[in-house]
Amino acid sequence: MLFEPFTDVVPSFFGWLNQGPLTLTIFLHTVIILPMFWIYFQEKKKLQGK
Amino acid sequence: MAKENLSVWTSIPFWRRSAAWVTGFAVILLIWLTFDTMGQISMGTDEDLKNGVDKRVPAATVINYNIDYQMSKKRGHEVPVIGKKEPFFGKEWSGEEAAALLHLGKLTSQAKNCMNCHTLLGNGAYYAPDLTKAWIDPMWKDGGPMQGMTGKSTKEEAMAEFLMNPSQYPTHARMMPNLGITADEAKGLVAFLKHMSSIDTNGFPRNFSKTVEQFKAGGTNAH
Repeated sequence: MLFEPFTDVVPSFFGWLNQGPLTLTIFLHTVIILPMFWIYFQEKKKLQGK
Repeated sequence: MAKENLSVWTSIPFWRRSAAWVTGFAVILLIWLTFDTMGQISMGTDEDLKNGVDKRVPAATVINYNIDYQMSKKRGHEVPVIGKKEPFFGKEWSGEEAAALLHLGKLTSQAKNCMNCHTLLGNGAYYAPDLTKAWIDPMWKDGGPMQGMTGKSTKEEAMAEFLMNPSQYPTHARMMPNLGITADEAKGLVAFLKHMSSIDTNGFPRNFSKTVEQFKAGGTNAH
């Protein structure tokens, strides 16, 4: 299961994210990569405008 | 014409902005994680122990309590369970006394370089047994081999006696050398080990002290 009920002693956002296999990794990569699409298209626009 | 040859991948501003974003995000993430970790590992108080509040790292006065190791179905591994009060070296230790004893134990563990052979909370070596859960190791329990061998009637006294004269007692294939640990230092070390065993390490070390048969049967050392 990707998401499971939180079972850690001390509640924490990262603890919750890390309950399943790779869940923290997948989340962080998604959060980091997505804005790079935006940067890409912005730069493309700038180049085309030249 | 120029438009057809446009490549964002060769544009320096694109890489500069991407690098700035990834670095900035990582910096913020690491700062956040630092504070998150500090919250997780901050020591509990004596009040937490009295009120049964679960802390990952209990107060030093946890040495006044019985510490059990029980399988938690919910979490899928064994967890330390702090039980009823029990005397430690024949008495109940106040907050200050317990903290001082634990501090002496910590300093001794560093001075004698326990980690050169043992593992403590994931740090150290595997030349000698992992000490993270040494206090709840069944070999030290009442009626167990170590109390019999050292001729002591409590776990803490047996451990202290062993620590003062380790080379007298055959335990593992590689015997521990005599490190010149004094009686006070040994007491401190035992308190240090007892406190460490009460720390919730998310089930680390895995399969602690299980025999092959226990492991195959899916058993635990919970008693």
